[in-house]
Amino acid sequence: MTRIKKNIAISDSGFVFDPGTGDSYSLNPTGLEIVQLIKSGKDFQQVLAEMSIKYEVDPESFERYYYDFTTTLKQLRLTESDGED
Amino acid sequence: MTKLTFERPIIQRINAGLPSKYGMAHKLEPVSHIDGVSIKSLLESYGSPLVIISESTIRKTYKTAHRAFSSRYPKVQFAWSYKTNYLNAVCNVFHQEGAWAEVVSGFEYEKAIANGVPGDLIVFNGPDKSREDLSKAIKNGSLIHIDHFDELYEIISLSKESVLRPKVAIRVNMNTGIYPQWDRFGFNYENGEAWDALNRIMASKQLDLVGLHTHIGTYIMTTEAYKVAATKLADLAVRIEKKFGQALQYLDLGGGFASKNTLRGAYYPGTDTAPSFDDFAEAITSALMSSEIKPDHLPLLILETGRAMIDDAGYLAGTVIANKRLADGRRATIIDAGVNLLFTAFWYEHDIRPVEPVSEQSEDTTIYGPLCMNIDVIRGNIMFPLLKKGDHYVIRRVGAYNNTQWLQFINMRPNVVVLDGKGKPHLIRKAETLETINSQEITPDHLAKFDL
Repeated sequence: MTRIKKNIAISDSGFVFDPGTGDSYSLNPTGLEIVQLIKSGKDFQQVLAEMSIKYEVDPESFERYYYDFTTTLKQLRLTESDGED
Repeated sequence: MTKLTFERPIIQRINAGLPSKYGMAHKLEPVSHIDGVSIKSLLESYGSPLVIISESTIRKTYKTAHRAFSSRYPKVQFAWSYKTNYLNAVCNVFHQEGAWAEVVSGFEYEKAIANGVPGDLIVFNGPDKSREDLSKAIKNGSLIHIDHFDELYEIISLSKESVLRPKVAIRVNMNTGIYPQWDRFGFNYENGEAWDALNRIMASKQLDLVGLHTHIGTYIMTTEAYKVAATKLADLAVRIEKKFGQALQYLDLGGGFASKNTLRGAYYPGTDTAPSFDDFAEAITSALMSSEIKPDHLPLLILETGRAMIDDAGYLAGTVIANKRLADGRRATIIDAGVNLLFTAFWYEHDIRPVEPVSEQSEDTTIYGPLCMNIDVIRGNIMFPLLKKGDHYVIRRVGAYNNTQWLQFINMRPNVVVLDGKGKPHLIRKAETLETINSQEITPDHLAKFDL
């Protein structure tokens, strides 16, 4: 399961700050929601369930975007190195 | 409850510190229609990808160019550069507007004749004219622009076989202060070779020297070079009149005007840097008007500009095949048109836009074509909206050179449509099929069968 590093600061507007590197990032609204769901300890199935209620998206597309997104988070070193699915 | 539209989740690094040299990030506005016609509907009717040519843009551009020169100089004639785009429908739009034909091979010459251009209104350029080509051109009274001495002697030899006097000009290459100096075509001005060639023509007494031609380069962004070129051609014309008492009928300043496309690595976009037709016209005509040529002997000014005349009228539209992540985390979008269709992607940063409004977000993206070749890159680095598989794109300003330099490679070349003045699409070149390719091949009997 993907876990966001504990020291990463995420604001309600989608601003992300990594104190380890000093880098900042911005999330789009869906990106922010997904990060918040991951941060609250939800796995892919739970995130999919929550997002499907709110958004018009089929599970196949969502899965593609979700894994593409979490791979990017991992490449940016915003996730725990042992927190992989 | 109505569900909200889902947008792909993305995260982007914020680059604080030095601002981008290009200023604020800008959003790529979608281009959904061409001449009032929906691109999506054209793709549905004619398939994807699709080359779309706007007839009204061609006519408008031609009129703008013609007006720029004819308002400054009494005698102006455009000749359509076939190699820039020799789709017959495109050539005929230019011919309807009054352009002659400018061709650079026997094949293009035949194409112009087949399109109905009178032989004496064809300018025949280029280093490769066979004896048969030259013979035909002499018979038709075409304007033959001699490229080298071997060609000159071939024409002199042909002129002895016939009573017809070949109408000739020489192509002159010169230093106009730009780099690279094109010196592979024609005779050099500075070292006296051009003057020697002119003297040789006059001495033969078999040839009618009717003009002088130069073509200083391609995508020229400075008008000053044309001023130098016009001055040097005018100087040769004056010397001929002084020595032989013959006034030349025309000076052909060629083409090479920059279009509004942006060159790779350019600091500013081409829309800001390309001189206008008025700028080029001012440079050329002012040099001719202030030359030593006698006012009542001012020659016809011929122009062969191709790129700047047709680039804006061409569009390449198509569909996104897939998205993926590159090793460094950047996004890659794969579209269904590759460099085999868009040869100019090698030197332009083409203006590619989404067709439908898709997303407010952009991401650093590399846009690849569909070819299984590493070099198939349409845009190496662009802040591009998040298009999904199946979304449509359109690439602007692809009218010049792509329909002549494109290759059948891995994929077939697609349909080409022209939108007429009322926005009605007409298919002007059919998409290739396996049959198109195989019809040119002959398989020997012993290679016809195999057992696996």
